[in-house]
Amino acid sequence: MTEPGAVGVTDEPEAPTNRPDSEHRLRQWLRRPYVRAIVILTLILSLVMLPLGWLIVAAMNGTGGPASPVMSSIQLTIIVLTVAAVPITAFVFAVMLYSLFGWRHVRGEQVPKDDSPAIRTNTIGVVLWTAVSSALAVFFVAWGLVALAQITANSYGTLPANEQPQDLDPLIVNVTGQQWVWTFEYPQHDRVTSDVLYLPVDRPVYFNVTSKDVIHNFWAVELGVKIDANPGAVTQTGVTPNKVGTFNLRCAELCGMHHAYMQTRIQVMPQQDFTSWVREMGGGRTA
Amino acid sequence: MTLTAAGPSAAGTAEVFGDHVPQPAQHGRPGGVMRHLNAGTGIALGALLAIAAYLVTDLLIAPGATTFTFAPTAPLYAYFAGLCGWIVGFTVGIGALVGPYRWLIGRELTHADAEYLAGRNLGVSRYFKFTTDHKVVGVQYLVVTLVIFALGGTLAMLIRTELGVTWAEVFSPAIYNSMIGTHGIAMIIGMIVVVMGPLANFIGPLMIGARDMAYPRLNALSLWLLVAALPCLISSLFFGGIQDGWSVYQPLASQAPPGMLGYQMTIVVFAISTGVASVNVMITILMMRAKGMTWSRTPIFIYGIFAAALMGLYAFPFYMYSQLLGMGDLLAGTSFFNPLEGGSVWLYENLFWLLGHPEVYVILIPGMAVMMEIIPVFYRKPLFAQNMAIAGIVGVVALSGLVWAHHMYMTGWAPAANYPFMLSTELISIPVGLLVLVVIGTMWRGTVWTRLPVMAVYAVVFNKLIGGITGVYLSDVPVDQYMHGSMFVVAHFHYMLMGAGLFGAMGGIAYYFPKMTGRLFDERTGAFGLWTAFLGFQLTFGSMFVAGLQGQPRRVLQFDNLFNLSNWISTIGAYVIGLGMLLFLVAIVNSWLLGRPAPANPWGSKSLEWQTATPVPLENFPTLPVVTGPPYDYGVPDPYLTATTPAAGPTPHQAAAQPAATADPR
Repeated sequence: MTEPGAVGVTDEPEAPTNRPDSEHRLRQWLRRPYVRAIVILTLILSLVMLPLGWLIVAAMNGTGGPASPVMSSIQLTIIVLTVAAVPITAFVFAVMLYSLFGWRHVRGEQVPKDDSPAIRTNTIGVVLWTAVSSALAVFFVAWGLVALAQITANSYGTLPANEQPQDLDPLIVNVTGQQWVWTFEYPQHDRVTSDVLYLPVDRPVYFNVTSKDVIHNFWAVELGVKIDANPGAVTQTGVTPNKVGTFNLRCAELCGMHHAYMQTRIQVMPQQDFTSWVREMGGGRTA
Repeated sequence: MTLTAAGPSAAGTAEVFGDHVPQPAQHGRPGGVMRHLNAGTGIALGALLAIAAYLVTDLLIAPGATTFTFAPTAPLYAYFAGLCGWIVGFTVGIGALVGPYRWLIGRELTHADAEYLAGRNLGVSRYFKFTTDHKVVGVQYLVVTLVIFALGGTLAMLIRTELGVTWAEVFSPAIYNSMIGTHGIAMIIGMIVVVMGPLANFIGPLMIGARDMAYPRLNALSLWLLVAALPCLISSLFFGGIQDGWSVYQPLASQAPPGMLGYQMTIVVFAISTGVASVNVMITILMMRAKGMTWSRTPIFIYGIFAAALMGLYAFPFYMYSQLLGMGDLLAGTSFFNPLEGGSVWLYENLFWLLGHPEVYVILIPGMAVMMEIIPVFYRKPLFAQNMAIAGIVGVVALSGLVWAHHMYMTGWAPAANYPFMLSTELISIPVGLLVLVVIGTMWRGTVWTRLPVMAVYAVVFNKLIGGITGVYLSDVPVDQYMHGSMFVVAHFHYMLMGAGLFGAMGGIAYYFPKMTGRLFDERTGAFGLWTAFLGFQLTFGSMFVAGLQGQPRRVLQFDNLFNLSNWISTIGAYVIGLGMLLFLVAIVNSWLLGRPAPANPWGSKSLEWQTATPVPLENFPTLPVVTGPPYDYGVPDPYLTATTPAAGPTPHQAAAQPAATADPR
C-alpha cells in the first residue's frame, strides 16, 4: 500500500499487439479486485435498501389506509420507483465507500507526491451510464404517464360533476374551504351540510372543490385525494372509498393564521348507514 | 510593471502595466467625493430618509383610514415610503450613484481615481466602501452571506423548537408563520448568493486569468444592493412579518400585514442585484478569459457559474414582476391576483414558479461545479469525462425553464398539463445523472487526499442522491398527489438545497479559504462541525420524511400526536445541526483572525487561481497568464493500460516535471 502500482497488480498485462476480444476484456475487467468488491458492495447495499419501498408504504398506512383504489395505485408506484432507483443509488454509494476505504487514501498537510491514474474518460462507461440512466428516466416517465391516466380515471377525470356519466350512481359533494373550516354540502340530498365528510363505501364520489377566501388544499389523506380549493374557481376530483373507517382530512396549503387547525374527519360507512345519516340530517334523495 | 498612482497632477500620462496611457484631467484628490462615502454614510442617509419618509407619509394619511381588510391604512403606506427612503438613501449614501453622476457631467475617471475606487492602499476600510476590486467584493459577499445564514439558521432553530414542544404553543400562530416565511426567503437568498457571491466574484476572475470582473462598479453595486435588501427583510418582522411562507401565495398575501411589503421590496431589490451580477459574470467569462483558455480548457466551475448566471438572468425578472404586481394589489387595489375582481391566483403561481424552479438549479449547479473543481485536486486525477460534465450543465439549463408547473400538479390549474410537465421534470434526471457520473468517475481508482474540502464532497453526494431519488417520487404526479404540501416535500428540498447546496458551499469555502483570507483553515474544528451538522441533518430531515409520509402537512405549528415522535427526533437533530454549524463558524472566524499564513498553493492545484501570490495583489497577476493545456492536468499513465510491469512505480509528480503547466508567464 505504499505506491499506486500496488493496486495495479493484474493476473496478466494486456497483450500490446494482439488486442483481445471484448468478452475476454470484460472477464479480465471483472477479475480486477476493486471491480469485484464494488459489485459485491452494490449488491449488498441494494438488498439493504430494497425494503425501503415497503417501509415507505407502511409509514403511509399507519392510520388505516389505503382506503381507495387511487391510494393503492399511488403506493404501487412508490414501490416500483424505489425498486428501480435502488440499484443505481447503491452503485454510487458503493463507489463512494470503496473510494474512502478500498482505494488508498493519504493524510497530512503535504500535497501527495504520487498522482492517480489519468483516466480522462471511458467511452464504454459513459455510453453505458447514459444509456442506463436514460432508460430509467424513460421508464419512470412511461410508468408515471400510465399511472396518472389510471388515477385520473379512478378519480373520474377532470370533468365537472354534472358532465360526468351518471350511470355510476355517484354521490356529489360540494367542498368549500374557508379560513379555517371545511364545509361539505350534499346537493343530491336537499343540500344537507356537514363539517365532517361522511361518505358511503364502494360508491363513486365526485368532489366540486372551491374556496371562499384564499387557496386551501383539500387532502383526504388515506383516500389519496388532493386538490387545491381556489377562490373564484371550482376544481374537480373524485374517489371511490373501498374501506369503512375514520380517516383524516387536512388542509395542505398554508392558508393563514390557523392553517394548522384546518382539519376534520372522514367517515366512510356502509350505504345504509349513510342513508340514515342523511335522513337524520333532514335530507331526502332529490337527484 | 508596478502600478504607480499618477498623483494629483493635471492631465498627463499614467503608467499602466508598462504602457504610458494618456489621462484626463484630475479633479481634486483621487477618488473625489468617494473619499468621504462609506457604509456608515450609506446607513446614516438611508436611515434618515427612511424615518423622514415614514413620518411624512404617516402625517399625510387621514387618521382612522382603513384598507379593505379593515386594517389601518397608515402603517402600510408609511412602511412602503420608509422602505423606498431607505433604499434611495443607502444607495446614494454609499456612493453607488457617483459614477453615473460623474458620467453625466462629463468627468472621466483617471487611473488614480480608478485605483482609489479599487481600494489600493486603503487597508481594512476598503471592505466598508463601494470598492470595485472583485476580491474585496468577494470577501464582502462572504460576510453578508454568513449574516444571512445566521438569521435564517436562528429562525430555523426557533421553528424546530415550536415543533418539538408538542404540548404547547411556544409562539403565536402569527409569529410562527412569519418565522416560517422569513426563514424560507432568507435561506433561499443566502443559498443563491453563497457560491455566486464569494466564490464567483473572488475566484472567478482569478480562475480565468483576468485582472477583475468586466464591470467592477456593477460588481460593487450588486453587493451593496444585496446589503440594501437585508434591512427590508429584517424590518418586515416588526411590521407583522411575512406570514405566508416564502412563496407568499396570493390572495393570502394581499390580506397580509404591512410586513409583506418588506418581502416584496426585498425581492425587487434582490432581483436587480442578481440581474446586475449575472450580466457581469457572463460578460466576464465570455470576454476576459486568458489567452489560450479555449472553451475546452475552461475549468468546469466557470461553466457552472455561467449557467447559474444565465438561469438567474431569465428567472429573476418573473419573480420581480410577480412581486411588483403583488405590491400593486396591496397598495393600489390593482387586483391582478384577486379572483373576486377578475384576477387569477394561478397567474401568481405561474409567475412565481417560473422563478422558483430555475432558482433551484441556480443554487445547485454552482455547488456541483465547486465539487467538480475540488475532486480532481484531492484525487490527483483529471476530471472524468469533462465533456459530459459540460453536457450535463447544458442539459440542466435547457430543461430548467420547462419544468416549473410541477409545483402546480395539485392546483387544478391545468390537469392536462401535468403530463408534459411530468415528462420534462423526469428527463432532468438524465443531465443530473451525468454530473453524478463525472463525480464517481473522477473518484474511480483515485488515491484520495483526505482533507476537509473533499470530505464535504462525500456529504454532498450522499445527500444529493437522497434528494434526487425523493425528487423522482415528487416529480411523479400520482405520488405527488399524496406528498404535495406535506413534510416530505420539506425534507426533500432541504436535502437538495441544504444537504447538497450548503454542504457543497462549506466545502468550497474551506477549499478557497486560504486564497481568500491568506490564512489556513482550521480543518480539525471545521471537519468536526461539518460532520456534526451532517449527522444532525440526517436525523432532522430523515425523520421529517417519515412525518410527511404519515401525513403531516407543511407549515403547521400544531399536529396530531401521531407525528410527535418524528418531530421530536427532527428537533433534536436540528439542535445538532445548529451546534455543528456554530463549530464551522468558529473555525471560519478563528482561522480568519488567528490562522497560520497560507502559502500560495497549499493544495498543489494546477488551476490558475492558485498560481498567483497569496494574498492576491490588486492586479491579480504581474503579467497575464497564457493557458497552454487542459485544466486538470493531473495523473500518471494508467498502470492497467501501460504494458510495462507496474513494479516500475509511479512516474514523478507531474507538477514537478512541468511546473504550473497552465500558467506560463508571458
